[in-house]
Amino acid sequence: MSETPFRNPGWAGNTGEFDLTEEQVRGEDFVGDRPAHGGHASGAGAMPYMLAEKNPDVALFEGEYQERFEKILTRYPTKQAALLPALGLAQEIRGYVSPDSMDRVAELLDLSPAYVRGVATFYTMYNKRPVGRHLVQVCTNISCNLNGADEVVEAFLRYTDTELGETSEDGHFTVIEAECLAACGFPTCVQINSRYFENVTPDQVPQICERLKSEGK
Amino acid sequence: MADMVKVTIDGHELEVPKGTTILEAAKRVGTEVPHYCYHPGMSSPAMCRLCLVDVEGAPKPMPSCVTTVMDGQVVHTQSEKALANRQGVLEFYLVNHPLDCPICDMSGECNLQDYVHEEGRKQGRGREPKRVFGRDDFGGDVLFYGDRCVMCTRCVRFMSEVEQDDRLTVVERGNRSVIDTFFAEGLDGTNWHGNIVDICPVGALVSKDFLHKARAWDLTHTPSICTSCSQGCNIDLHTRDNLVQRIKPRENLDVNGWWICDHGRHDYEWMNRGDRLEAPLARDGSTSRATGWKDALRGVLDGAAASSGGVRAIASAGSSNEDLGALRALVDALGGGEIVYRSARAADEIPLKGYPTLARRRDLAPNTTGANLMGMTRVGGDDATGGLEGVASHEGVVIVLGDRLDDVGADFGEKASLYVYLGTHDVPGASAAHFVLPVATHAESEGTFTNREGRVQRFEPALQAPGMARPAWLVLGALTAERTGGGVARTAPDAFAALGSTVPAFSGIGYGDIGSRGAVVNESVSLTGD
Repeated sequence: MSETPFRNPGWAGNTGEFDLTEEQVRGEDFVGDRPAHGGHASGAGAMPYMLAEKNPDVALFEGEYQERFEKILTRYPTKQAALLPALGLAQEIRGYVSPDSMDRVAELLDLSPAYVRGVATFYTMYNKRPVGRHLVQVCTNISCNLNGADEVVEAFLRYTDTELGETSEDGHFTVIEAECLAACGFPTCVQINSRYFENVTPDQVPQICERLKSEGK
Repeated sequence: MADMVKVTIDGHELEVPKGTTILEAAKRVGTEVPHYCYHPGMSSPAMCRLCLVDVEGAPKPMPSCVTTVMDGQVVHTQSEKALANRQGVLEFYLVNHPLDCPICDMSGECNLQDYVHEEGRKQGRGREPKRVFGRDDFGGDVLFYGDRCVMCTRCVRFMSEVEQDDRLTVVERGNRSVIDTFFAEGLDGTNWHGNIVDICPVGALVSKDFLHKARAWDLTHTPSICTSCSQGCNIDLHTRDNLVQRIKPRENLDVNGWWICDHGRHDYEWMNRGDRLEAPLARDGSTSRATGWKDALRGVLDGAAASSGGVRAIASAGSSNEDLGALRALVDALGGGEIVYRSARAADEIPLKGYPTLARRRDLAPNTTGANLMGMTRVGGDDATGGLEGVASHEGVVIVLGDRLDDVGADFGEKASLYVYLGTHDVPGASAAHFVLPVATHAESEGTFTNREGRVQRFEPALQAPGMARPAWLVLGALTAERTGGGVARTAPDAFAALGSTVPAFSGIGYGDIGSRGAVVNESVSLTGD
C-alpha cells in the first residue's frame, strides 16, 4: 500500500471525506481481492483494478474463502438465492467459472449442475474461459462507437497482439467488447477488471497497458 | 352456478368454470389456439408468445395459456389482429430454423410445420445467414438438433417438474441460447426421458431408436395398453408394414397422464419377431406335423375325452382377460383343476415424482390382477421361473397358455396324457406337447387387461397375426363350445361378456363402458405387494 494520500476519484465522494488514505478506503484485511469486513463505506462497491494471482486449480471455498462463502449464505433466505454471489466468489478465486466450479457450487447449494450451468452462462460477467490478469472490456455501444471505440479496440488488440477474446501470451490481457457501460458521457469507456477508464483514446492505450503491467502484482 | 363464467370465444358463447384459461376454454368450442410452451401437464411460462389472442377491451394481445377467463369476456382467436400477431411470431421462429423438413423425423407431426403451413407467411424475408448449432447427443434415447429448437423449454420443465431431475437447462442467452445438459452428463440413468421427445413440438428432440425409421404420415396409430408392468399405461402402437415402429403414450389422466416410462416405450421388438408359430402342430414322440385348425381342435378334444386324472393349466399374466377367462372356462368344462401363472417382479418401483399415481410397478406383467380375479395362483420366483413341479408331474391333461417355459427341460409334460401348448413361439418346453397351437399376441388381437388398481382397459389389434395364429380366446372358446355344446364367442366383446357371466368381478361391464379410459372392476383389488 502506498503512503501517499489516496484521493478518492469521485465515485465515493458522497461520504464527503476527501482525505482518506487508500488503506482507509479499501480496508486493511483482505480476503482475496475484497476487504474482509467490507472496507470503508465509500469504497464498499469498488473492487481493485489489479486482481490477485488466480489459480484455476485451487480448491474452492476453503479457509478464509469458506468464511466468505458462509457469510454469503447468511444473507439469503434460501441456498438457491446465494447462487450468483457464490459463482462470483468462485470466479474471484479461480479467475473464471469452470465446469468444475459449477459442479462444486451446485453441490454446496443443493442445485443441479445443469441448472447452475444455465445460470452461469446466462450472465456475461461470469467468464466461462480463463482470462488474463486484466480483462479489458471496451464499450462499443452507440455513444462510444460514435467517438471512436472501434479504434480503441483496435489499439488494445494491436498492443496485446491478440484477437477479441484471446488472452495475450504474457497472460496479462484479454480484450473483449462490451455493451453499454453506462458511461456515455465519457466515451470511449473501457472497463479493466472493476475499474473504469474514461475518455480513452487509441494513443493512450499503450500507456494504460504499460502501467497495468508494471503495477501488476 | 356461482363459479361458472360466461365467455364468448370466436362468436360461440359458453360457460366454463372460473379459473379456466382461454386456451382450454377455446378447446371446448373446437378451436386449438397455436402454442408451443403450454402443456397441460406442466407449468405455463407464457414464453412462446404464439398463443396470444385478441381480447376485447384489453390493450394488448393476451397469452391465452395463462390468462383465465372473465365473465362477459369476448375473445377472438381468429381476428385479423390475432392472425397478424401469430404470423409475425411464426416468422421469427423461422429466422434460424433450418427448414430441413425432408430429413426431419418430426415432419408430418410438427407443430411448427403445421402452424406455418396454416397461418405463416408464404415466403421468408430473411436474407441473413442462419446461426448453426448442429446436433448434440443427450445420451439415453435422445438426440438434440439445436437448429430446429423453438426454445419452448417444455423438455427443461418436464425434467425439473415432472421427472424432478434437473438434467436439462437453457445455456447462454439471446439467439445463442440452446438446450443442453451439464456438459457430458447427459440423460443417462433417467427412466422417463423418452417423454421429452413426445412433448417437443418440433423436431429438436428426436428418438435415436426411431431415427429415420419411418415417416409420420406412413404410421398407423392403434390404441393399446403397455404390457411392461401392471400400471397399464395407455399407449398408441405406431405401425407400418405390419411392424411396430414405435410406442407413444396416449393420454389417460386416470392412469398415466401424458407419460410412459422408457422401459415400456422400448419394449416392442418382441411383437415384431418373425420366428412365430404359424400353424397348429400335432406331435407324436419325435415327429411334428403341421395341421389345420379343424384337425388340431378335434385331436385336442379326443385326447381330452380319453384322459383322466383332471386338468392342470399354466396361464400367463401377459394374456388378456378374454384369454384367461376362456382358459378358465375350458378347464372347468374339462372337469376343473388348478391354474397357475408365473410373473416377473422387479426389485424396485420406479416412480415418476411429478405424477404420483404413475410408476413403473414392481409387478412386470400387465394382467396379474385379471389372473388373480379369475382364481389363478401365482407360483415361482420373482424372475418368473420355478414353481411348475406340480404340473410337470401331472398325469392328466396339461394346458399351457402363453408361458415360454424357459426353465424347464424338453421332457416337460411327458407324463401328461394330453399336453396342449398355446403360444406365439415353439419353445423347448413344448417338445413333449401333443398339440402346439399358434396364438396371436395382444398387438394382433382385441381384448382387455386389468391393471393393478382393477381398471379394465381395452387394446386393439395393430398387426396382422402370422399364418393361422388366432386369438387364444377364440381357440379355447371353440374347444369349450364343442365340449359343452354351448355357444361360441366370435368377437372379443362376446368373449368379455362370457367372462362377466362367470367371474363376478367383471359382470355388468361391457366394452362400451370401458371405452378409451377404462372401467374399474366390481371387486376391490388388493394393491399390496406392488
